[in-house]
Amino acid sequence: MRRSSNLRRLLVAMLAVASFAAAGCGGGDPGAQSTDRKPGEKITMTFWSWVPGVDKAVDLWNSKNPDVQVKLEKIPSGSNGGYAKIHSALKANQAPDLAQIEYQAIPEFLLEDGLVDLKPLGADQHRGDFVDWQWEQGVFGDGVYAIPQASGPMAMFYRADLFEKWGIAPPKTWDEYEQAARTIRQKDPNAYIATFPPGNSAWFTSLAAQAGAHWFGVSGDTWQVNMDDPKTIQVAQYWDRMRADGLIKTDPDFQNGWYSDLQSGRIATWVSAQWGDAILSGNAPDTAGKWRVAPMPQWTAGGTASANWGGSSTAVLKGARYPKEAMQFALWLNTDPQSIDLLIAGGYGWPAAKGAFQGSALDKPYDFFGGQKINDVFATADQNIDKSWKWIPTTTAMYENLNVGFRDAAAGRGSFADSVRAAQGKTVADLQAKGLQVKEG
Amino acid sequence: MTTTATAPARAESTRPRRAAPRRRRGRLAPWGFLAPFGVLFLLLFLAPIGYAVYQSLIRIDRSGPLGLGRAREVFGGLENYSRAVSDPAFVASIGRVLLFAAVQVPLMIVLSTVLALLLDSASARWPGLFRGVYFLPYGVPGVIATILWGFLYVPGVSPIVDGLTAMGLPVDLLGGGSVLWSIANIVTWAFAGYNMLVIIAQLKAIPGELLEAATVDGAGPLRTVWHVKLPLVRPALVLTTVFTIIGTLQLFAEPLVLKPLSTAISFTYTPNLSAFNEAFNNNNYGLAAAESVLLALGAFVLSFGFLRLTGRRRR
Amino acid sequence: MTASLRSRILVTALLGVIALYFLLPVYWLVIASTKSTGSLFGSSGMWFSDMRFLTNMANVFTYDGGVYLRWAANSVVYAFVGATASTLLSAAAGYALAKFAFRGRETVFNLVLGGVLVPATALALPLYLMFAKLGLANTYWAVLLPSLVNPFGVYLLRIYTAAAVPDDVLEAGRIDGASEARIFFSVVLRMVTPGLVTVFLFQFVGIWNNYFLPLVMLSDPKLYPITLGLTSWQSFADRQPELYQLTIGGAFVSVVPLMIVTAVLQRFWRAGLTEGSVKG
Repeated sequence: MRRSSNLRRLLVAMLAVASFAAAGCGGGDPGAQSTDRKPGEKITMTFWSWVPGVDKAVDLWNSKNPDVQVKLEKIPSGSNGGYAKIHSALKANQAPDLAQIEYQAIPEFLLEDGLVDLKPLGADQHRGDFVDWQWEQGVFGDGVYAIPQASGPMAMFYRADLFEKWGIAPPKTWDEYEQAARTIRQKDPNAYIATFPPGNSAWFTSLAAQAGAHWFGVSGDTWQVNMDDPKTIQVAQYWDRMRADGLIKTDPDFQNGWYSDLQSGRIATWVSAQWGDAILSGNAPDTAGKWRVAPMPQWTAGGTASANWGGSSTAVLKGARYPKEAMQFALWLNTDPQSIDLLIAGGYGWPAAKGAFQGSALDKPYDFFGGQKINDVFATADQNIDKSWKWIPTTTAMYENLNVGFRDAAAGRGSFADSVRAAQGKTVADLQAKGLQVKEG
Repeated sequence: MTTTATAPARAESTRPRRAAPRRRRGRLAPWGFLAPFGVLFLLLFLAPIGYAVYQSLIRIDRSGPLGLGRAREVFGGLENYSRAVSDPAFVASIGRVLLFAAVQVPLMIVLSTVLALLLDSASARWPGLFRGVYFLPYGVPGVIATILWGFLYVPGVSPIVDGLTAMGLPVDLLGGGSVLWSIANIVTWAFAGYNMLVIIAQLKAIPGELLEAATVDGAGPLRTVWHVKLPLVRPALVLTTVFTIIGTLQLFAEPLVLKPLSTAISFTYTPNLSAFNEAFNNNNYGLAAAESVLLALGAFVLSFGFLRLTGRRRR
Repeated sequence: MTASLRSRILVTALLGVIALYFLLPVYWLVIASTKSTGSLFGSSGMWFSDMRFLTNMANVFTYDGGVYLRWAANSVVYAFVGATASTLLSAAAGYALAKFAFRGRETVFNLVLGGVLVPATALALPLYLMFAKLGLANTYWAVLLPSLVNPFGVYLLRIYTAAAVPDDVLEAGRIDGASEARIFFSVVLRMVTPGLVTVFLFQFVGIWNNYFLPLVMLSDPKLYPITLGLTSWQSFADRQPELYQLTIGGAFVSVVPLMIVTAVLQRFWRAGLTEGSVKG
């Protein structure tokens, strides 16, 4: 029976190996201890980001800091899979030391215990270097969880040449905007004033904020959700009207079709954030010199309200081995004037560092915009943003709730206003399903 | 060993006694051969299923200021399942893939069978060439096929769409009503040749005498197909249908790659997309696990049921 | 039996039209891979405009430090190692199920068959969580280990082995004093080679084309197979338009050789499937 006992032993051995492996002998290192760097010790930190131009800033840091090197890894933009990657990495204990986290995503990373509190590392001393509302985006309870990088004050990009051809003055109010939309449709049956992208509810969120809506807040330990307030419904119904009257397109933005429309004049305006200039110049290069920037259309004549779209921070992720050095890199990246200039050249947005605008690369005429100093418009816009806007830990799901409804509305089923109401209920449910306390209104 | 050189493929042994030698080998030999696959099957197949079921029964309890403090996993019962089935978007996604399967599976099988029969018929010239061409798309990964067809669907880039528009037939292949069928087109394009090959293999195995007998009896090509060929390729048809059912219910890569191009595709377009989204974008692992389990059960039931149905009729 | 000339012309013409359908995206790909980004969106997709094929190819291979070659190598490793190992494992398991009568055999076989019916995507998420706990996520193992399990291969090889290996050959081997392992490796494997090749090719293509598993498991671009790498380029393309051309060029490089290989090797598929279906 020797053969069978050999086999028996083989079998037992295999099972033993298998169960050993299954018991998790290896395992990631859940409590990777953060340590202090010893003087002269060479370390490398990883940084995940998608912002164009950040590689040049990282190169600059690396040339100046031979002992503290940063390895940049490009990931898809947050809502296009970047955050999913970061969440997966955190769950597998393989997170990078630093990552790009937009303001609206900070609470969701906090919920997954993914961010390092920078207050014990002395972050508060640098509070004064940054625009306060952007600093506040990273503050929760008693801790500081992110270093602000940039924001996106909004204005209106418009084709000045086409407006002149059609005899339209840049609209100052949303009523005038609607009028302009009608005129455009009359003058050129192939042209539209803009598209309402059903898959980009972040844009809609900013428009609601401009109208004065406050969707989210906290009261004690309870989260508050108030998406279907009258101001938001007003904005939704406005775009519903435009859609019903055929005044706007409902195609996705940031896509070939949209770029082609921008290039060919089939879309004449884009209400967008400051970082949109790089999007236009990069994807519609043949229209150089034809665009201008004007303040956002207003709900009340003579108003100056603007809104913020996007904006992100640099955060240190849980598991980072050298959080102090990571924080120092983050601070340098977002306040050093040379770094800021490199980031501006890449089109990263409006610097969060105080006083960064004057004398920076932003403070100049833009050839693409026919020599206009576009950032004067954005600087004013930046002063007129409602700074008290807060986010919830399920922003991704909230955006998707809106997207689903908007997509149906664009296909003719329902309205944008109905989508907002439906999204309100779903968002409350999302938060409750996470085990959080929620209140409506 | 001398016997190997003269071993034809004989299915039956002519030796009278087979039981006695087996006892000598020991009864553990088969387990030894089964073990490597078996252990991995256990660890990497059964264990994840078990883990998914476990995960689907978990709920997260939070404490601390604003709930951002400690999180604990507690037993939540069927909470995730009830959440999944009471979400109209998820239920709609199930309906959508069922509709997709109901249309796409017959379409695929019919097309593959017709192609196989055409290539097998005497009227076809250059069958080998055409076979190669039809099988070509199988070598293209689904995502890449979707990227390619995506370019062929976008107006302004696609020669097809632009051509039709120029002829006065503006067509929107990525809109709400049509994108599902645009996806069906991609899946058909990718797998029809593969399924066709499976059926051809079965066709080639039909004994020539049967076909000759049919001709002698006066049956034309169409009657031969209906009464001789089709019944005899039944096993291949069953096999390809089952795999097509399982594949279509799992639809994931095609809608995901087309998503940025189409306003009609959201993360709840198919159940798989929904589970993926809940897990990786929303960090709702319990809900994602429940949705995966529901999807797996559905696919299992449908394919098993189909096998049962076709098996029973044969007897 | 000869068919009439008319039916031959009709059928062949029909086959030709269908062939155009299957070739359309490939044709588009060949044309598109010669264009620059500008003419990609500007000119008609059906014919060439500016010829920049060599430049495009060079860009594909040199972009980002030659990461495309890394992806190609990864695909080859995943597919080749995965298919070889899983074929061997499936052969052993199929042999056990085909040629040994033991208690629980049918249960095991039904379990394996059940495994064929379970969608692989349902497994990927819990596998990811399990691997994450074991520290295996985002490693080569994360994609290789699941590829080793091939229930369909076991099913195919069980049928094939049962038919292709006569019992008396095995008896003779045992009488001669050969060990079970020796019989398996020297005798059985040689007799089921066509089946092995079929299962290997199925699994190779399956792993090569796999998207969901690597998508879920991998986040380090250096570990990506080509499928994941190309979609990642495409996802960056709206911010960096040159990536459209790179994606197309990369798709061209990955698709054309593999298609030629599958077209040439389709006779192996056919051979293996014919054997399997005759006996099945």
